[in-house]
Amino acid sequence: MKDRAAFDLLYRQTSAKLFGVCLRVLKDRGDAEEALQEVFVKIWTKADRFAVSDLSPISWLVAIARNHAIDRIRARREPAAYIDAALDVADPAPGPEAMAVAGGESVRIYHCLDELEKDRAAAVRGAYLNGESYAELAERHGVPLNTMRTWLRRSLLKLRECLER
Amino acid sequence: MTLAEENGPERGGDDLFAAEYVLGVLAADERQIASRRIEADAAFARLVDRWEVHLSPMAAAFPETEPPIRVKEAIDRRLFAQESRPGLWSSLAFWRGLAAAAVAALAIAIALPYVNPPVVEPQARLVASLAADGSDVKYLVVYDAARRDVGLSLVSGERAAGKDFELWMIEGKNAPVSMGVIPAGQITHMAVTPAVEQKLAQGAVLAVSVEPVGGSPTGQPTGPVVAAGDLKGI
Repeated sequence: MKDRAAFDLLYRQTSAKLFGVCLRVLKDRGDAEEALQEVFVKIWTKADRFAVSDLSPISWLVAIARNHAIDRIRARREPAAYIDAALDVADPAPGPEAMAVAGGESVRIYHCLDELEKDRAAAVRGAYLNGESYAELAERHGVPLNTMRTWLRRSLLKLRECLER
Repeated sequence: MTLAEENGPERGGDDLFAAEYVLGVLAADERQIASRRIEADAAFARLVDRWEVHLSPMAAAFPETEPPIRVKEAIDRRLFAQESRPGLWSSLAFWRGLAAAAVAALAIAIALPYVNPPVVEPQARLVASLAADGSDVKYLVVYDAARRDVGLSLVSGERAAGKDFELWMIEGKNAPVSMGVIPAGQITHMAVTPAVEQKLAQGAVLAVSVEPVGGSPTGQPTGPVVAAGDLKGI
């Protein structure tokens, strides 16, 4: 019974954030609701792994939700609706929430994204927040898949160089 | 400069593959390969964790949205529908118990401000599942270092009339050290003496032997060991 109280507390504190992650990636309420269920069942059964991660608890939970939602969207045969994706492109700058959280290490990723060309930084953020695949990004940016792959890989290498500087 | 050069020979392509996985750009089959490697390859899992740490501040842009209540109801049905079955031991129950303890720790940690990630102390609590072949005696043990408390939950088995269960700690190849007679009951607690506390750490083996009432007269186990297991971090 104690377990259940702990779970209820965990759910109260984190479900809105994790649902936001699922919604953003899956862009479908019913799908996101199902994904959220699966995510919490997963968290419950994988919680013992938390000890080996360097992530903060909330970031660890977000990572599980995000990866689960991305796996789910990849399992769909048809790519996600591009209209929604296109609407989401125009948010490369960190919002007020991001700035509020940002302190010390947290701003580092924004600083490093700023060192990339604008469209590359937007592609990195778009991929992270929308869970878009190389194929989807290539189609949206109108470039061949391999070009998109090379673009993003170079951006990731530059990011790594900056993050570890 | 080629991609391979930029990537550096010491890291190979694994770090980039980990980055692509975390960023979320891989195709379904590539993600499956990455997931399997995270499970099987600790070095790769660390690369993935590092990228998750690097990129996680971007997650601040995910807006919070309250899910409908039916989601919580469905999860409760999946997770807790069978929790009240009494006395049923299975490895699933054990792992769920472990997960519950970790979730409780998480819940507390999350209650703290996000900006100040808490330090997780994996050694603060250790657990052991005690069992042995040819015996139906099974205990689940949780050691709380901060409170110097050993909690024991008798999962199955009973002591015979005129006998007691005694708990022992075995560290390396040393002789067993008595931690005392286990009080009768389904759920019991035992205090840990300072001498035992110093040696009680991850990897130490706990064992339960059958002894005359009041415990072993010799200071070493005299009866059969009916359950044993090693302490693990949660």
